[in-house]
Amino acid sequence: MDLLQKETVGKKYEKRHIEVFTDLSSPFSEDQLEIIIANLKKTGISLQFFLPFPVDDEEGSGDTGDGQHSDMYRNSFPRKGLTEQQKEGICMVRKLMFALEEEGGLDEIYTFRESLERLSMFKKIERKPMPWPCQLTIGSNLSIRIVAYKSLMEEKLKKSWTLVDAKTLKKEDVQKETVYCLNDDDETEVPKDDLVQGFRYGSDIVPFSKVDEEQMKYKTEAKCFSVLGFSRSSQIQRHHYMGNQVLKVFAAKDDEAAAVALSALIHALDELDVVAIVRYAYDRRSNPQVGVAFPCIKDAYECLIYVQLPYMEDLRQYMFSSLKNNKKYTPTEDQLSAVDSLIDSMSLIYEDDDGETTEDIFKTSKIPNPQFQRLYQCLQYKAFHPDKPLPSIEQHLLEMLETPQEVRERCQAPLEKIKALFPLKVAGKKKEQKTAQDIFKDNNEDGPGTKKANAENEEGSFSIANLAEGNVTAVGSINPAENFCVLVRQKNANFKEVSQQLVNRIEQFLETKGLQYYMKSINCIRVFREEAIKLSEVQCFNDFLQALKEKVEDKTLADFWEILIQDGISLITKDEAKGSSVTSDEAKKELLRSNPSSDTDFCGLDQVTTFVPQFPLL
Amino acid sequence: MSEWMSYYKNEEDEEEEEYPEEVETGGEYKYAGRDSLIFLVDASKDMFEYYDDDEWTPFDMTIQCIRSVYTNKIISSDRDLLSVVFYGTEKHKNSVDFKHVYVLQELDNPGAKRVLELDKYKGDQGKVLFRESFGHNADYSLGEALWACCNLFSDVQLKMSHKRIMLFTNEDNPHGHDSTKAKLARTKAADLRETGIFLDLMHLKKPGGFDISLFYRDIINTAEDEDLGVHTDASSKLEDLMKKVRAKETKKRALVRLNFHLGKDLSLTVGVYSLVQKAFKPSPVKLYRETNEPVKTKTRTFNRETGSLLLPSDTKKAQTYGNRQIVLEKEEVEEVKRFDSPGLVLIGFKPLVMLKQHHYIKPSQFIYPEESFISGSTTLFNALLTKCLDKEVMALCRYTRCRNTPPRFVALVPQEEELDEQKVQTAPPGFHLIFLPYADDKRKIDFTEKVPANDEQVDKMKEIIQKLRFKYRNDSFENPVLQQHFRNLEALALDLIEPEQAEDLTQPKVEAMNHRLGDLVEQFKQLVYPPDYNPEGKAMKRKQGEGAGQTEKKPRMEVSKDELRSHVQKGTLGKFTVPVLKEACRVYGLKGGGKKQELLDALTEYFSKF
Repeated sequence: MDLLQKETVGKKYEKRHIEVFTDLSSPFSEDQLEIIIANLKKTGISLQFFLPFPVDDEEGSGDTGDGQHSDMYRNSFPRKGLTEQQKEGICMVRKLMFALEEEGGLDEIYTFRESLERLSMFKKIERKPMPWPCQLTIGSNLSIRIVAYKSLMEEKLKKSWTLVDAKTLKKEDVQKETVYCLNDDDETEVPKDDLVQGFRYGSDIVPFSKVDEEQMKYKTEAKCFSVLGFSRSSQIQRHHYMGNQVLKVFAAKDDEAAAVALSALIHALDELDVVAIVRYAYDRRSNPQVGVAFPCIKDAYECLIYVQLPYMEDLRQYMFSSLKNNKKYTPTEDQLSAVDSLIDSMSLIYEDDDGETTEDIFKTSKIPNPQFQRLYQCLQYKAFHPDKPLPSIEQHLLEMLETPQEVRERCQAPLEKIKALFPLKVAGKKKEQKTAQDIFKDNNEDGPGTKKANAENEEGSFSIANLAEGNVTAVGSINPAENFCVLVRQKNANFKEVSQQLVNRIEQFLETKGLQYYMKSINCIRVFREEAIKLSEVQCFNDFLQALKEKVEDKTLADFWEILIQDGISLITKDEAKGSSVTSDEAKKELLRSNPSSDTDFCGLDQVTTFVPQFPLL
Repeated sequence: MSEWMSYYKNEEDEEEEEYPEEVETGGEYKYAGRDSLIFLVDASKDMFEYYDDDEWTPFDMTIQCIRSVYTNKIISSDRDLLSVVFYGTEKHKNSVDFKHVYVLQELDNPGAKRVLELDKYKGDQGKVLFRESFGHNADYSLGEALWACCNLFSDVQLKMSHKRIMLFTNEDNPHGHDSTKAKLARTKAADLRETGIFLDLMHLKKPGGFDISLFYRDIINTAEDEDLGVHTDASSKLEDLMKKVRAKETKKRALVRLNFHLGKDLSLTVGVYSLVQKAFKPSPVKLYRETNEPVKTKTRTFNRETGSLLLPSDTKKAQTYGNRQIVLEKEEVEEVKRFDSPGLVLIGFKPLVMLKQHHYIKPSQFIYPEESFISGSTTLFNALLTKCLDKEVMALCRYTRCRNTPPRFVALVPQEEELDEQKVQTAPPGFHLIFLPYADDKRKIDFTEKVPANDEQVDKMKEIIQKLRFKYRNDSFENPVLQQHFRNLEALALDLIEPEQAEDLTQPKVEAMNHRLGDLVEQFKQLVYPPDYNPEGKAMKRKQGEGAGQTEKKPRMEVSKDELRSHVQKGTLGKFTVPVLKEACRVYGLKGGGKKQELLDALTEYFSKF
């Protein structure tokens, strides 16, 4: 512990965060604890303990560590005789942590096992609390100085993506330009200065300049937090909450009078079971809100919690058929009791035998947002392996989002029962979802302005999902390689026929003699080769390559052939597939010799004669 | 310059403006055609009579109702088509020259002029005007009126997704003595049903009560998904009529339809709806100054070097971390966000009381079963709903809205169907989908030490609260910003000199409050505040500072180059505020984007080069 202390003292000047790995078996001096605590508090250092065993939150009023985790690990770590020293250590740690954080201090103590998991998690994004000082007013004569903080708000990513050029990877190379044009046949461009802004008012469009709008618009006078009145709490419905944040409202700092006044309000609201309806404006430039402020009383603090409520314009009054008054959909008693037992079996509450203490075994608010975890995982991976495809989602991340194992096992029987009792039939197929991106992509590649077809892209993009789609009927010109893959995997696929379609496409591309089509063709050929090996249709491919070579020579596509060789595409050899009789030497030879740059038709003929006798052997 | 100014709008930030980055409108924009709605209004004499001590005649109520639909539509969905048709008039105007059917407004977008036209027929003056312009005649045929409506629908060239007629009348047996006409009406109603036109009856009060079974039971054709199994009562109050009309004026559209997986191979289909959704001020249209015609905006991406146009495939996405640029294909950026296929996956159940009142991050959604993909869904859904209500539990689910959205946890909170006295649905049956926060969404708070109040103080506050109680209703507040905006537009569209000032309901009614409180406030202050205490003291000073802020800020932002460089080297650049960093970026001509981290990156990159 001395070491710990020294280290902490040494470190605190450079780091603001200390992680202590210890088994607590070394002696420590408690007398300096107070000083350490004071120092830590003063310098604002956060402290995390990593211990080889869990620390229970026996006397604490806060949360029990991390719900599910500590529960799991408690079982796997029976307290096998902690030494006295260790027990004392625990006391010290507990004291330390409680001193630092009045509530839920043990949250920052982790077992080694937990920490392994934790460390593979990326840290949650910390934000500095931003105080919003204001006055809570009731009428014009009573005001209470308050300060509010955002307590809950959907966390967004800190960085956004920038667009960079695919080749140079520089964002400066990508520039955007916006032009405005009239809606006539020539699409006459008009300069930006000749534009005014307008608004639709039903069928009319009303010109309404920015200046006028600014002058005539609603003006919020100043920031405010004014009570409009009080209402029974049952009149506020949870599902009507609006906005994107929850504020916690405290009395202003170091103002005892304000604290007492707010406390009186909080307790009065709580005892009467009413809430305050409040007008809230962040500042004079923002729009006013109407919201609810309800009391929240905890051991450590008390506050008002503010959430926005809807305006009349925000409500949609939709009508839905009654479920009660419709005989067709009324469940039978049996069905109801099946659902009843499902609910019981899938309870996420752990109850002690005496039924008094309950514990939530699936606390969603303790789970880190998987989106961030996944993003950082991918970014980290891509930083070191820029050319590899994305890694798959980590297993522990997926598990975190799943029903706990014990519940999953418990509910099997009730689920089976429901399945048996409720007739559920798949009635229609969902419409194929087509995103704009797909459509856009297609258009591009078909269009005359086609740029380089993204060969690298198509290579890895084949997925089982495409198989399931089942809407590919022929090899098209847009994604021939992919189509081909899908088709050959289909049941009762005719490899010959499908490959002939692909060959036709390749020839079609080569007719155009453009580099981008070369790349596309080569991609097709590569896929063709791979599939041929997989499906033992070696002959088909070798035949094709032979024939192609002849064509290439006829049509002066030397440059194309060169690329093909560079890409290492050759006949399929014996080593790769049983069906082939071509040795790797022969395959190489074939490539070199068939290179039209080495001239003469004769050479090509020679090739054919070399190979033709081999085919009947296959 | 204006652009630069708008940068400053968000300073102090951290606290961004209140607009969420992505507005979840989803299904709304999946454009399937326009909704169309015809108001078919009985214009016979009875509609113009006052009953009992009513404030309005049935006709007045109808017109006000229609007007409110018009103005709402202008705000919410100005592309929808509306029309007003009278029957039982002396004069006639319609494409087939039926007698006593007068098409006042063809099916078209709602606009300012149409609203004004409706206004002419309001009140007693309107009644006179109506008699003069159209007259009344009881010799109408409802069948023909429906026929005329039908023609209106078919005359429209646009694609319509939803066709509906709302029939306003207070006559429950219009063709009691004329079986031919009654038969014609029935036949025509059946035709409507076949062509997918819905006919709703907005029946108004008449002496002796409105009896639907006499005639209208066979005529009305409610949409299958709106059947309540009971008929609503006749409306005698404007408020009631409005409620009925509002529930039906927009076609409900699901944001998405997806599978709700109870177990590995046990699922049902549900539609997801938004029952609350922030209404925004519409974005402006760009107009050509000379002609006031709208212009098209085209954005092109091109290569700086070659000037050639770049296709989406020619660009990639990048982020910089620790001086290292990480490049991903666009598809990969999407793939990173992909976890599940769209759907709701049941995790388990928890008691309703465990849903924390303040765990909120974004507006809730609503689910209702859907038979079209998996038949039998409704029964299972109904059983679940019934049991969740019985046992007071909620279902915890993992929710993936579409292909590339990362999952979020949601609580499915059961909602029982609620009807009001008129048997109008006020809460539909189904589950509310409440979004739950992740650990990342919770923020640390620097709370103030509590100083508890004593009982006397609390009791005094209770007295204050009791004086200011009212019944909150979710539709009691209009958005003053939106209302003012549309009044301004209305004034400009109709060439009014001065726009009508919208009443700002969000302002506290200070005088009334002070009056009601009387000396309670003084008493409370005496109990709580020290004699010389002034709660407004400090804030006043701050206000002055704010006023001068605009000019003060400029000089403060200049940070010398050397200073910046040393901060970059030491890695302490982060201590500057966003406006300072923005200014620095501007000075060196760097494009850093709006987020702090991006600005830091830009500056770090710049200074590490030199």
